[in-house]
Amino acid sequence: MALLEVRELDAGYGDLQILTDVDMDVAEEEYVTIVGPNGAGKSTVMKSVFGLTTHMGGTVTFAGEDITAAQPEGVIHKGLGYVPQNDNVFAALSVEENLEMGAYILDEMPEAALREVYDRFPILEERKDQKAGTMSGGQQQMLAMGRALMLDPDLLLLDEPSAGLAPDLVDEMFDKVDEINEAGTAILMVEQNAKEALRRCDRGYVLANGENKFVDSGTALLNDQEVRQEFLGG
Amino acid sequence: MGVSETYARGRRFFVEQPLALGVALVGLYMAWFLGEGLITGRILFSDIASWAWDGLMRGLIIGLAGIGLSMTYSILNFANFAHGDYITTGAFGGMAASYLLAGLGDADAGSLLLVGSGRSVYGGALGVGIVTSPLAVVAGMFIAGVATVALALLIDRFVYKPIRDESGITLLITSIGVAFALRYLIVFVFGSDVRGTTAAGQQPTASLLFVDGYVRINAHDVTLLVVSAALMLGVHLLLQRTKLGKAMRAMSDNEDLARITGIPTERVVKSTWIIGGGLTGVAGYMFVLWKGTIGFNDGWLLLLLIFAAVILGGIGSIYGAIAGGIVIGMTASLSIVWIPSEFGRAAAFAVMILILLFKPQGIFSGRSTA
Repeated sequence: MALLEVRELDAGYGDLQILTDVDMDVAEEEYVTIVGPNGAGKSTVMKSVFGLTTHMGGTVTFAGEDITAAQPEGVIHKGLGYVPQNDNVFAALSVEENLEMGAYILDEMPEAALREVYDRFPILEERKDQKAGTMSGGQQQMLAMGRALMLDPDLLLLDEPSAGLAPDLVDEMFDKVDEINEAGTAILMVEQNAKEALRRCDRGYVLANGENKFVDSGTALLNDQEVRQEFLGG
Repeated sequence: MGVSETYARGRRFFVEQPLALGVALVGLYMAWFLGEGLITGRILFSDIASWAWDGLMRGLIIGLAGIGLSMTYSILNFANFAHGDYITTGAFGGMAASYLLAGLGDADAGSLLLVGSGRSVYGGALGVGIVTSPLAVVAGMFIAGVATVALALLIDRFVYKPIRDESGITLLITSIGVAFALRYLIVFVFGSDVRGTTAAGQQPTASLLFVDGYVRINAHDVTLLVVSAALMLGVHLLLQRTKLGKAMRAMSDNEDLARITGIPTERVVKSTWIIGGGLTGVAGYMFVLWKGTIGFNDGWLLLLLIFAAVILGGIGSIYGAIAGGIVIGMTASLSIVWIPSEFGRAAAFAVMILILLFKPQGIFSGRSTA
């Protein structure tokens, strides 16, 4: 049984349905990416897992528990972390305060987890007293990931982590995601930078018009003629 | 650099900055008027100091009351027009407790609890004051806070919470309705006459020599100064050092992110009402203790100045509320130098508009702190 199981999920916002019968699995410690054109509903899948959309049908199961249409607060307790694409740090708070907020649901600040985040992203320790809003886009992205890692989640949802980053930072960011995955955290990632994401992941889903189109290993999708032509620009 | 270029720059300045130029001219005239007045002895240095002190006191009250307004604004994203009447509630609630403690045995409890409604008892006769009845004042301050917290929570639970997801304008208009309902409830219970609250004459006053005269500082001035400074420091420490305070700042910064981070937003909202309401109630009590009179309109009349202070300081920032309060209070008091005292409030608003023209986001812009 997979860690995350999405079955025939219909979801959207208010009356607007975006996803139709979406199926998705993420096994423990697996690295899965979702690619697809703009408006395919990639981010909506993640938001739905996190209870941020209007549920219209189907189920979401995490670690054997039904979390369909659960509240975000409840989902965090079960070991899910989520890094949204935009506005993903508290700009007015310092770096360390942002990380502290990541562990809000714990009674005490988890010093070990903080140490681990600082070891993974040394820049955050260097700048721990700086206001998050004054950092560069890349550093904010690291901070957002660090915040989500404070609770040591079993599955980390990353929504376009490379968006808006300078080209040399994109590689560094992908390396960090690899490292997080190698340390035992399963990853479900939406990426605009589809080729690089498929090259690095274990498995990929191609989504279009809110529906599953292709599922396969990353390399297989990269080599698939149809996927290349329709979704990866040849 | 040629003459023509200097001329062109000067010309550009006149054409593009007429406002700055006008302000500079008015400022120069005011400085001349003040200087001339001080030299000829028409205005005393000690008068200026007295007015400044009075302005600081007003500013502290406005600032203290402004923190609560600023907090609820930044966390709930709506301007609570009932805030002024929360201040009045604190004033009456606290004074009822003070009257009861100071006058128990001398007058019947009913008249005391109604803060001498219908001229049944007088605060002056009961000896209400920080020196003459310290316990009654401390208890009054406490009750003022508690009563206002209870009111704020009650109104939030039954009025604001059910419509929290509506647009800001709905909440705003509703809060105006709450303001009126509350005010006339206060009139219904406590009556509409403005009356004296304290035995002001019995409190010690220090006369400090200042250049050419005396500045009088009484015990209630000192009480106000100490209480406001302590509460402001307390709020600062709460926001900067405690987990709840950080969560409040986080939520004011980005509510959606706060929710997906696992911050219990409803609980933070409640805490905001508790802290904001407590400060507001105490501010109301300090206000009537300091000025020595109480009336059902006190908070409402103060509200506009509080809004001015909060907007001036940069709405959402508690430091802005304090700084803005002091600027507004000082302006209203010190304007006496140039214009009749009845126009003090107008001067305060003029300065607010002026500062916002030059710094539209307020003094502490971009530092939303609670």
